[in-house]
Amino acid sequence: MQRKLVAAGLVVLCGVCGLVLGSRKVAAASDVKVPPLDLQESKLSNGLRVILVPDHTAPVYAINVSYNVGSRNERPGRTGFAHLFEHMMFQGSDNVGKGEHFLLVLNNGGGMNGNTTDDRTVYFEELPKNQLDLGLYLESDRMRSLAITQPNLDNQRAVVQEERRQSVDNQPYGHAYLDIDSLAFDNFAYKHSTIGSMADLNAASLDDVKDFFRTYYAPDNAVLVIVGDFDPADALAKVKKYFESIPSQPAPPKVDLSEEDHYGERRESIYDPLARLPQVIQAYRIPAGDTPDNFAMQMLATILSSGQSSRFYQHLVKEKQLAASVSAEPDERIGPSLFYILGTPRPGVKVEDLEKAIDEEIAAVVKDGVTPEELAKARAQDLRRFIDTRRSVLQTANDIGEDAVLYNDPELINTLADKEAAVTVDQIHAAAKKYFVRDQLAVVTTLPSPKQAAAAGGAQ
Amino acid sequence: MIGTAKIVKALRHGLVLSAAGALFMSTGGALFAQDNNKSSDVSKVVRLNRAPVSKEVLRVKLPRPTIVKLPNGMTLLLLEDHKLPTISFSMMIRPGQLADPDGLPGLASMTAGMLREGTEKRSSVQLATEVDSLGATLGASSAFGAGFTSVSATGLSGDADHLLDLMSDIVLHPTFPGTELAQFKQREEANLEQRRANPNFLGTEALRKALFVEPPLAVVSATKDSIEKVTADDLKKFHDQHYRAGNTLFGVSGDFRSDDMKALVTKYFGAWSGASEPALEMPKSGTGGPSRITLVDRPDSVQTVILAGTRTVKRTDPDYFPLVVMNQVLGGGPQARLFLDLREEHSYTYGAYSNVTANLYPGDWIGSASVRTPVTDGSMDRFVYEYKRIANEPVPESELDDARRSIIASFALSLESPSQVLGGWMNVQYFGLPADYWDTYPDHISAVDPTAVEAVAKKYVDLSHIEWVAVGDRKQIEDVLKKYGPVSVVDSNGNAEK
Repeated sequence: MQRKLVAAGLVVLCGVCGLVLGSRKVAAASDVKVPPLDLQESKLSNGLRVILVPDHTAPVYAINVSYNVGSRNERPGRTGFAHLFEHMMFQGSDNVGKGEHFLLVLNNGGGMNGNTTDDRTVYFEELPKNQLDLGLYLESDRMRSLAITQPNLDNQRAVVQEERRQSVDNQPYGHAYLDIDSLAFDNFAYKHSTIGSMADLNAASLDDVKDFFRTYYAPDNAVLVIVGDFDPADALAKVKKYFESIPSQPAPPKVDLSEEDHYGERRESIYDPLARLPQVIQAYRIPAGDTPDNFAMQMLATILSSGQSSRFYQHLVKEKQLAASVSAEPDERIGPSLFYILGTPRPGVKVEDLEKAIDEEIAAVVKDGVTPEELAKARAQDLRRFIDTRRSVLQTANDIGEDAVLYNDPELINTLADKEAAVTVDQIHAAAKKYFVRDQLAVVTTLPSPKQAAAAGGAQ
Repeated sequence: MIGTAKIVKALRHGLVLSAAGALFMSTGGALFAQDNNKSSDVSKVVRLNRAPVSKEVLRVKLPRPTIVKLPNGMTLLLLEDHKLPTISFSMMIRPGQLADPDGLPGLASMTAGMLREGTEKRSSVQLATEVDSLGATLGASSAFGAGFTSVSATGLSGDADHLLDLMSDIVLHPTFPGTELAQFKQREEANLEQRRANPNFLGTEALRKALFVEPPLAVVSATKDSIEKVTADDLKKFHDQHYRAGNTLFGVSGDFRSDDMKALVTKYFGAWSGASEPALEMPKSGTGGPSRITLVDRPDSVQTVILAGTRTVKRTDPDYFPLVVMNQVLGGGPQARLFLDLREEHSYTYGAYSNVTANLYPGDWIGSASVRTPVTDGSMDRFVYEYKRIANEPVPESELDDARRSIIASFALSLESPSQVLGGWMNVQYFGLPADYWDTYPDHISAVDPTAVEAVAKKYVDLSHIEWVAVGDRKQIEDVLKKYGPVSVVDSNGNAEK
């Protein structure tokens, strides 16, 4: 469940182990049953997968359209294109003017956005229930007839370049976050960044946009999810009305995501003039999401760094006082994924001393595994967070859309708690031994400046 | 969704890249009505008006909590919601950071941050383990610019008793152990270093200082000096003096029965004492002088973070509603003027917005954008243009209609989150607003007409008094900034530069 929760968690870190709880009965997390969702799935004649989930708690609904395309589908010389294309989807279509999407959704009380990752691109709105037609119309019109014009492309290309500056180039550690993936992967699909390079963004042409739209933005390459306060029969009729006449397209080419075995640890050290403290990022290669081993590593990450009783927090922040913060963040992709560990030493501590201590924590897990108490605690944390994500129809729609398009497993929202509960301490131990291997490790270290680096042998 | 995520989320794929930064929920909207737009160089936004829109605005009534005044003076607000088996507790304890003494900025914040580091019954690690074993959250903070310390907990509803036990333990019986304090200070120092690397923090710091001049309102964080100086005794004193039942609003939302909950809260907090303190007087100092620019020198920046703002009013001021509507028109989201102008028209930025706050004392109204360095002046010209336009030209009726409708219609979405609804009712208590405040809120918004918007725009969005902040590379932007007013320069530690 951690997968859903990364953004929800409050503080990171964690720890402890071995501490005996008070006499209180821990509320039996395992007794708590989350009411299952009723996923009503159908497929239109053009191949669009439709999943309807009635929920009458509040007079609202959320719509998510997930397309099976991400930066993994980009080719060399066009990095950043999938995301640039996502921006084009807000620039109008045959019956929606430039910028009108924002106006129509926001001015009717709703919220909206879209986002792009390595594996998929999603678009979503949440609106009051009386605006069901509006959301469906907006999504269908841009799936059918995107306005692909040079002024729109030039405008959004520059906007995306500002997005890159704001989130990467003008932020401390911005480049380290991109470099860790390019160091950890050899296969271009995941090696390059989703935001892309400035040069490649500049190279994107109108023909690229047209080709991409035709190839990937077809109803048979998408999933439509609606969650909220509506009548399913009525909603399905509307979906057919708006979407069924959009023509299907040949299946897009498959992308080879496979990664050759690595031999030897990979390291990179960079100077970042915007950083004030050093930082280390490690990445171990782990299996794809929605697999038993990925679940095991997700649970392990919770044990290592979720909450103030977690191992990293208690050992590295509190006992050894080496870290300002440390966290473990496994990701999940449809192909090879990464288990990131991110550490910032507290002022005056050498980053290599922190890294050594992190390595000792990992070695301890590889040697001795984790305890049943730790696993019980991790389950309780994940379960509570998962339940909270279910309050929002938008989050629910987004989760179902992602699970459908990535794993062909929309019911994962109903089975996730059980899949995670099934993880055992033995599985975690076996997975740790298998994946925490130095040959599979990539490390990016950031130092604030050459001057500070020179001092790293001493004061820093 | 950048904006909601933490650093780690950024790691997950090199960033989840969003079309518009954060999830944009409307709290109001505006558009350039094409036909009313005299300045043809402004918007390329096109309204085709072909999408099916229901004309009906779904008006909803927010559920009201049960409100109980306990004998010890604490006000309890209870909002049941049985959709899911979780529960959420939220305390607001006045006066928070407003009571920071001279010379110790951040004392309230550090006191709150130390609550979990040890109590008469539990050590820091025991607290951590109990909380995590329940899968719960428990935290305390005292935000700068807010007039209260916030203590909150969430967990499974079956754990309500245990959660209240933990919560009351840290609020009523913290011991501020010296060894924990020494470690805490190191973490605070590291946090401060990390924040000083962030251009938005530096910008907010400079702007609050320009607008409010004196502490506590001008301050946005502890300082290296105050972190070093603070003692366990300081924390104890602050706690003894200000953590009082009478200063406290206590909210509970989620899956519980109100009668049971009242008894349970009374069991853990009933013996807490302390009458409420009178509201603190805030210094009236502020500029009101001619427009100025603070340049925060952040070498190697590739963007300039621009902020341009002013002081506003207390939450109870009649100008508040027109300010909210005016803000929605000008910068309240991707449908508003600043975004459409600076981003969709001029491609200067990933996003331009404005935000208005009002508190027990005057809040602020701030427009902002991060723009690439070479278009720093071009972007400031657009701010100037839009600020002048809203102050000097009446907002077209259709644009105003959109803004008002977006605010009112978005109420339906808030029904999803009982803790958010309860937070709204806690604010009513906190600010001393009328008991039917949220019932009549839509009417107040509907009543804001073009004249009212123009009046507040003239009064607050006044270019002759606006305070500007630019965070960026001094050597590249100092000269262009001088076109807009007198420039003073500070470094990224907040110290004046020559």
